[in-house]
Amino acid sequence: MNNYEQPIYMNNAATSWPKAPGVAEAAAEALRRIPGEANRGGVTDFDVFEEVRKELAELMGVDCPFQIALGCNSTWGLNQAIFGYPLNPGDTVLSTNAEHNAVLRPLHVLMQRGIKVVTLSADAAGRVPVPEWEQVLKYCRPKLCILTHASNVTGAVNDIAALAKAAKESGADVLLDISQTLGCIPVKLSEWGVDLAAFTGHKYLLGPQGTGGVYVREGLCLRPHMVGGTGVKSDLKEMPEEMPLHLEAGTGNEPSYHGLLAALRWSREHPREPGEMERKAGRLSEGLRKLGCRVIVPGGVSTPVISFVIPGISSADAADILTGSYDIILRTGLHCAPEIMESIGMQGGTLRLSLSRFTTDDEVEQVLCAVRDVVESGV
Amino acid sequence: MTYRCRKVENCFAEARTYEYELPVTGQELLAFLKGWEIRENHRFRRPVFSAKQGPLEIKGILAAHVVKVNYPADRWEEEKERLERWLEQTEQEM
Repeated sequence: MNNYEQPIYMNNAATSWPKAPGVAEAAAEALRRIPGEANRGGVTDFDVFEEVRKELAELMGVDCPFQIALGCNSTWGLNQAIFGYPLNPGDTVLSTNAEHNAVLRPLHVLMQRGIKVVTLSADAAGRVPVPEWEQVLKYCRPKLCILTHASNVTGAVNDIAALAKAAKESGADVLLDISQTLGCIPVKLSEWGVDLAAFTGHKYLLGPQGTGGVYVREGLCLRPHMVGGTGVKSDLKEMPEEMPLHLEAGTGNEPSYHGLLAALRWSREHPREPGEMERKAGRLSEGLRKLGCRVIVPGGVSTPVISFVIPGISSADAADILTGSYDIILRTGLHCAPEIMESIGMQGGTLRLSLSRFTTDDEVEQVLCAVRDVVESGV
Repeated sequence: MTYRCRKVENCFAEARTYEYELPVTGQELLAFLKGWEIRENHRFRRPVFSAKQGPLEIKGILAAHVVKVNYPADRWEEEKERLERWLEQTEQEM
């Protein structure tokens, strides 16, 4: 039972909290220890980045860990992929309006460089409709397709198997944003035929902020978006050709990657109970609807993200009360995904609650009680 | 009245919301807001208030020392200056 001493954290789609057990200790211990060998280590050197790559490759469903470049976050990975992909003026990129600004803003830059960007609208649940996607592919013939695995606003999970298959059949490569799904639901990049994928370590992987990167299919070569020191092959004028060095300029965030490794190993050793998080999210969604809130119900497969508005009350005012009066940590506004708001009919933004495997039934009930107070008060 | 002020950002580029940390609680502040349209809501675990005067809105938790002020987008600098001058002068009356 929460006795009001602890905040109720429901902002896991932004960043997870609490982190997995052992994460803080692993990061702190790494800061106390002599640092690693910066890519020069021999057989006895413990290379935390290599270990993280192995864990990630398994989670992503890819064979070659060295095709995963590690950086500071998903935005880093998306920028590497979008600006590093061989596009020329006149080429077309197909994307969706469900994307995060980490995609939308790089695409805006591409448009200024003469790349044609076609944007497909998601449906009212925030999901990319497969028939329309197939239709658009036929006439726009994109070189690259960029889409999110799941909406960070509604939680709707896209049918990547079908969407990627259609894109590949049209001759396009696929860049998938798995920031909202890796560690939450199964990801099968190779099976789906995904060529590039950007991920983060601090959401459903339960690791620290400052971790994330990009997977690049073997045979696909990106132009490095950032260049610099690699600790080895310093006599070359250009970045080394081999992955992951090709994309990893500068000193890595070793302490945070020790934290992420601890999180990945803990999650592997403690798989979450299937359906539990979804059950709690379902209870919350249903409870909000019964209170008269307008809730986006994605249906089908979804992440534990619930977007809603309270009729007659601004989301900003409601969030102020839920946080200030009840210590409920949530997110309000556009969630860095401004374009999807039109599709879901919430142009002014939403209140967003996002659960994690650590969210309790009691927390769900307390949130519903607090929202009931706000609804009934009319503020 | 001395205060610490910091802008509070949200998703909108035109947001003009500032937080003020005051030496008085929201409840005590209300006593100084003569002529403002004041609403209190005691239903919540920590009761809240809002005070409106023209385009200005101050809101917060009654028992807390931090309040939020929403300024109108078109003349926020003028209104901010006016409110802060008033806060500074109010100290002399305390």
